Amino acid sequence: MTTMLGPAPVPPDVRRPARNRRIQQGVREFLAPYAYISPFFVLFLIFGLFPLLFTFYISLFDWDPIGEHRFVGLDNFSELLDDPRFWGALRNTFSIWVLSTVPQLLLALGLAHLLNHARLRLAALFRMSVLVPYVTSVAATTIVFAQMFDRDYGMINWFLGLLGFEHIDFTASLWGSHIMIATMIAWRWTGYNTLLYLAALQAVPRELYEAAAADGANGWKQFLHISIPSLRPIIAFTVVTSTIGGLQVFTEPLLVNPVGGLTCGAARQCQTVTLYLYEQSFGQFHFGYGAAVGVALFVIVVAFSGLNYLLATRIRSERP
Amino acid sequence: MKRVRTTATAVIAAAALLLAGCGGSDGESDSKTFEFWSFANINQKADVDVYTKAHPDVRVKLTEVGSTTETAQALTAALAGGKVPDLVLIQADDLPKFMQSPDNFVDLTTLGANDIKGNYLDWVMAQSTTKDGKIIGVPTDVGGLAVAYRTDLFKAAGLPTDRDEVAKLWPTWDEFINVGKQYVQKTGKPFVDNTPTSVFFQAVNQGSQRYYSADRKLDYDNEQVKAAFDVTLKAFDAGISAKQGSFSSGWTAAMKKGDYAVVCSPSWMLSQMKTNAPETNGKWDIATIPGGSGNWGGSFLAIPKRAKNAKAAWNYISEMQSPKGQLDHFLMQGSLPTTPSVYTDPQLVGKTDPFFSNAPIGKIYTQSVLGIKPFYFGPQDGPIGTEFLNTLTSVEQGKVNPANAWDTALTNVKNAVRE
Repeated sequence: MTTMLGPAPVPPDVRRPARNRRIQQGVREFLAPYAYISPFFVLFLIFGLFPLLFTFYISLFDWDPIGEHRFVGLDNFSELLDDPRFWGALRNTFSIWVLSTVPQLLLALGLAHLLNHARLRLAALFRMSVLVPYVTSVAATTIVFAQMFDRDYGMINWFLGLLGFEHIDFTASLWGSHIMIATMIAWRWTGYNTLLYLAALQAVPRELYEAAAADGANGWKQFLHISIPSLRPIIAFTVVTSTIGGLQVFTEPLLVNPVGGLTCGAARQCQTVTLYLYEQSFGQFHFGYGAAVGVALFVIVVAFSGLNYLLATRIRSERP
Repeated sequence: MKRVRTTATAVIAAAALLLAGCGGSDGESDSKTFEFWSFANINQKADVDVYTKAHPDVRVKLTEVGSTTETAQALTAALAGGKVPDLVLIQADDLPKFMQSPDNFVDLTTLGANDIKGNYLDWVMAQSTTKDGKIIGVPTDVGGLAVAYRTDLFKAAGLPTDRDEVAKLWPTWDEFINVGKQYVQKTGKPFVDNTPTSVFFQAVNQGSQRYYSADRKLDYDNEQVKAAFDVTLKAFDAGISAKQGSFSSGWTAAMKKGDYAVVCSPSWMLSQMKTNAPETNGKWDIATIPGGSGNWGGSFLAIPKRAKNAKAAWNYISEMQSPKGQLDHFLMQGSLPTTPSVYTDPQLVGKTDPFFSNAPIGKIYTQSVLGIKPFYFGPQDGPIGTEFLNTLTSVEQGKVNPANAWDTALTNVKNAVRE
């Protein structure tokens, strides 16, 4: 902006300070907004980006946190590809993710539709209470569910016994443990997603429903042809967030099956990728290998988020 | 001017936020204060209280970090680049990992450990001594082995209830299995809580070699481990197991309900049993373990190299871990001394526990740790033990065929040690 100044009759020694001041002010005005938003980015740099890059770095080492750090190149990754425990953990993660996300989102959709009903009494009470599981501590939820699913003394098996069925050893079996953990996740997140859907539904004009009702559309038809289409963007959002969350499930498998330490069962039947990462890094101090697991997980999450994003934009742009 | 100030304020605020995380005062580092990290639930506070009462000028800042594993993890993080305590308690299973990098700790021989090392069981001392003679830790207790059994259930099954007679029933694991079969036949109920923990983890700790050879090389595929593994499969095959994994919720519930009659219980497990099943008070008794002497567990006190006050920490160790100190701690808390000179002390021999029908726990457990042959504990002991245990648990859960179990276990161990 200083170039805009044409030749002026003011002597140079007077003109310069004024010009400097103006430059300074310009710089300040230019910097101020960055300074205001800097706290987030500085914190992100230190607690987000740096650990991320550092993880990439140590995944190239045989890294003992209190001993030696030996550079091994890509050995950790080639070992990872041959490691049945990693592939097992990946299978468990996807299986638990599908088992928890699909029923959870469907249930949340239905609940949101019901909670949005014009003639619902005590609406505030019901709407608040769906959030109760979400504010309960994960650890407490997990311990209670683990007891309910217990082989000999759990409530579910007691009930199965009453009906004349054999007891199911949920924690010991592959599917049993996955269903058990998926139930815990769905229990915790269904209410949260319900409220997201409900918020979006409330923005839909009531007249649409009234008009549909006048035309003779029943509740199911209204749900299918009014609620769902208006929820498209928010459905896309919940699918993406529950994918990212679902691929990082950790606390439930950590606490649900104390036998065998960090493996979630004797056959690692419900050990997720994050739990495997934790076992390698903090259970056995193989930080380099643990970091390699972390990098692999990072790649998978990014790939899936991308895929989801493509899918979601298609869902969003489709006309009802 | 105003804008300059607001810009500066924003920057300072950001900086302050960051510094708040890194700050932390150094605290007082006078020679009379030291920091001590311990696990929770083993009541080191009682020891600290005794010590500070005798030395009112000393201040001990005790932190109960969490479980034994969590304490080891916190110590690892601290050693890797944080504020270290002056004194730290390390569980025997975690110790080998730290022994790999002894430079992180004060060599206690420089503080006088050579003068007191003769007080402790030689095979325990060997675990915290490096190849070139540095001493990293002083043992605080050992985990002697014994069997806890329900006298009421034994009586109902027509078995003897007197602890000496019960001990005579099972000098070996094979005879233990036979007693179990008799019990199951008579009552129709399972005998022992599970086989992986109650048989394998006991038997594998009774040999002269575990997962490493005497010259400190990995050697888990050996006859002694195989024998312990096979006797566990035999116990499973005999149908005497309740298949309740140790420390699980089912294990606790079954203990309360008397759904098994026997738990092989290292000395440190006794207090857990009391907490888990208080309603079974007086129904238990303790008999010697089949298969001879053995040890599982125990802990060590160590001083990190960067400790601010190593001298004060050492004074604490040498006083509280003297034979007299360990005896007092046993009488107060029940963890087993590592100093054999007090094993014949009338107070220790005479110590009984009403929860276990007044069994002389001091006498029974100290006998189980005498005559142990030292074997080397290596850095991979933890993961190897877990894989063997997990495979045997899979057998109990019907997921692994007993005939393939040994090969499966070896494959799993191989993966775990990343050979």
